[in-house]
Amino acid sequence: MEKIKVLTAKLGFDIHSRGITVVNRLLRDTGMEVVYLGNQYPETIVAAALDEDVDIIAIGSLSSTGLDYAQKLMNLLKEKNAEDIPVVFGGIVAPDEIHRLKEIGLVSYFPPGSDLDEMAKAFTDLAAQKQK
Amino acid sequence: MEKKIEKPKSGERKEKFTTNSGIPVKRLYTPEDMAAFDYDKDLGLPGEEPYTRGIHSSMYRKRLWTIRQFSGLNSAYETNKRFKLLYKSGSTGFAIAADNASIMGFDPDSPDSDVELGVGGVNVSSIQDLEIMFDGLPIDKISTAVIPVMTTTCPHTAMYLAMAENKGIPLAKINGTTEGDPCSLGGCFDTATVPLKQMTRLCADLVEWCAFNVPKWNPVSFTSYNYREAGVNAYQEIGGLLSSAVLIIDEVLKRDRGLTVDDFVPRLAFHLSAHNDFFEEIAKMRAVRRMWAHLMTERYKAKNPKTKILRFHVQTAGSTLTYQQPLNNAIRASYQSLAAALGGVQSLHVCSYDEAICNPTEESAILSVRTQQIIQEETNITNTVDPLAGSYFVENLTNELEKRAWEFYHEIEELGGWGEVMDSGWLINHREGEICAQEDQIHSGERRVVGVNCHKEEKNPDIEYFKVDKGLNDKLRERMAKLRKERDNAKVEDALAELAEADSSGANVMPAIMKATKAYATLGEMVDITIRRYPCKASSSPIYGMKGMIG
Repeated sequence: MEKIKVLTAKLGFDIHSRGITVVNRLLRDTGMEVVYLGNQYPETIVAAALDEDVDIIAIGSLSSTGLDYAQKLMNLLKEKNAEDIPVVFGGIVAPDEIHRLKEIGLVSYFPPGSDLDEMAKAFTDLAAQKQK
Repeated sequence: MEKKIEKPKSGERKEKFTTNSGIPVKRLYTPEDMAAFDYDKDLGLPGEEPYTRGIHSSMYRKRLWTIRQFSGLNSAYETNKRFKLLYKSGSTGFAIAADNASIMGFDPDSPDSDVELGVGGVNVSSIQDLEIMFDGLPIDKISTAVIPVMTTTCPHTAMYLAMAENKGIPLAKINGTTEGDPCSLGGCFDTATVPLKQMTRLCADLVEWCAFNVPKWNPVSFTSYNYREAGVNAYQEIGGLLSSAVLIIDEVLKRDRGLTVDDFVPRLAFHLSAHNDFFEEIAKMRAVRRMWAHLMTERYKAKNPKTKILRFHVQTAGSTLTYQQPLNNAIRASYQSLAAALGGVQSLHVCSYDEAICNPTEESAILSVRTQQIIQEETNITNTVDPLAGSYFVENLTNELEKRAWEFYHEIEELGGWGEVMDSGWLINHREGEICAQEDQIHSGERRVVGVNCHKEEKNPDIEYFKVDKGLNDKLRERMAKLRKERDNAKVEDALAELAEADSSGANVMPAIMKATKAYATLGEMVDITIRRYPCKASSSPIYGMKGMIG
C-alpha cells in the first residue's frame, strides 16, 4: 500500500483549532502524509485535494457552519468528478442534524471526545479501500 | 473502554500529583514551606502594592464583581431582547458577542458572510445595529464590553461610542471596555493571515484616542483567555499576558505624542480564563496581580498607583465544556466561577452548559447569571478579602506560578517580544505541543474528564439547544440594502476618504472612524480601508478576508 495522503482543513472562520491539531499529529504519527491547509473555503480545499491527489479529505468544525460548508464541498467534488475521495468530518454537529452527515455524503463522523486509536484505524481502512 | 492506571507503590492513587499545568503538588504543605515568606513584600494589604491580595481594600464587602454575560444572537433585535432578559435577571454589565461575519469585518451583503451570519453571536455591521441593540437599556448606568476581536476594534468601538453620544451621554462619561487586542489570538492561528503590524497600530490608536477623549473607557482588554483556550497552560497564560501588554504599551510610548504610562495604562484591562484546576487558577490570579505591579514599577517606572493595578474580567474556560453529558458543564462552570471569585475578579462571564454545542439558550444563559448570584448571595465567600491568603499550599503555588510565568515572559522577550513570537510561528508551535501533551494525558487516562474518558454513558441526555434563525441572512441583507439606499452617501464617501487619508498618513484613525460611523458607514467599508488594504503573508486564507492578497 502506498503512503496514505490526507488533506486536513478547518472551514471558513472557525478558529477553534485544538481538535484538528491533535488529528494532524495522530495521522502523522500513524505514518500518513498530512497536507494541512488551515482555515479554508470549500473551493480551495477541493482544488488542493485534486492537485495533491490525496486519499482522504478530513475537515474539522467546532462551529455551527460545518455542515453548510461540507455540503458545498461535496457538491464541488461531484462537479469535478472526484466523488471517490472520501470526506471525513470531525467536530460538533447539533444532535438533530446528525442525519445530514449521511445525506451530504460524509463517510465518517468523529464527535468531540472520539477515541484516537479508532480514528487512526478508520483512516487507514478508508485509504485502503480507496487505493484498492 | 475506560483505561486503568496501575497503582503506585506509595499506596496513593497516583505516582505523581500535579496541577493541570504540570506543577508538582506535595502531599502536605507546612510552615516549613513558608520559610522564605515575607508578608509585606509578597502580599501586603489588599489595595496596596504588590496587590497580591486584591486591587481594593475592601473588595466584595463594598462592591460585588460585575455579572457580565457575553451575549449576542441573530440580529440586533433578538439581542436587545436577550440583554433585557439578562438585565431583568440581575446582570450588572453587558458584553456584545459579535457573529463570525462581523468579527472578520464583513457586511451581511458580502459573499464572505454567506454562512457566517449569526454564527457565534449577533451581526454588528453599522451603528444602526447598536441603536437597536441598546434601545431601552440603561447604558448611562451600567457598562458594556464591546468584544470585536482585533480586525474591527476601532469601528465597533466607534459604533458603540457614537450610539451612546447620540443618546446624549457625553464621551467623557461613557463607561465600558473594548476587547480586541491583536495579541489575544496569538498562537490560536497562523498570524501570517493577518497584517499584524497594522492591527497593533490600530489598537494603539484606540488607546491613545481614548486617553484624550473617553477617559472612562477601557480601550483594550488583553485577552489571555483566547490563547489559554487554544492550549497554553496557566503560567504561560499570565506570562503571555504581560508580554502582550508590553507590545501595546511600547507601541503607544514610541509615538511620543504626549502620553506617559501613568496617563493611559490605568485604563488597560485584562481578560483571564478560569480553568478546571481550582487552586492553580486562584494562585494564577493572585500571581499575575503581583507581577503586573512589579512590571509597571521596574520596567516602566510607573508612579500612579492605578497604573500598577491589574483589573480583570474572567470567563470560565469554554474548552473544558464537554459535548457529552452537557448538564455537567454547569457544575464545571460553577467551580471555575468560585475560583475567579476567590482570585479577586472584577467582572465575570460564566459559560453556559450548552456551549459545547451551540450559543446559549435563554434558559442556560439565565442559569449562568444565577450561578454567579448564588456565589454572591449565598456562600458568604464575599465576607472577607482574599480568604486563602496564608494557606501554605496557595502561597506556594502562587510563588511557583509567578516563577514559571516570569520564565515564560523572559523567554518571549528574549525572542523579540510578543509580536515576534506570534509572527515567527514560535507561539503556535508551542501551544500545539501543549495541546498534544494534554490530549495524550486524556488518551492515557492520566487526566480524567467525566463523561469523556471515565464515567461515560451510552447515550447523552437530550437538552434543548439554540439554532440561528433560518431567515436571518435575508433580513440582514434587506436591512443593509435599505441602509445603503437611505443614508447620505456623499457624506459617507467624504468620511471614508478622510479615513483613508488618516490611515495612510499615520495619524490617529479614530476621529475619522467616528465621523464615518456617524454617517452610517458600514463595518466592511471601514475594514476595507483599515485592514484589507494591508498585505499579509498568507494569500489564500479566508480568515480576515485576506484571500487574494499577496504580501
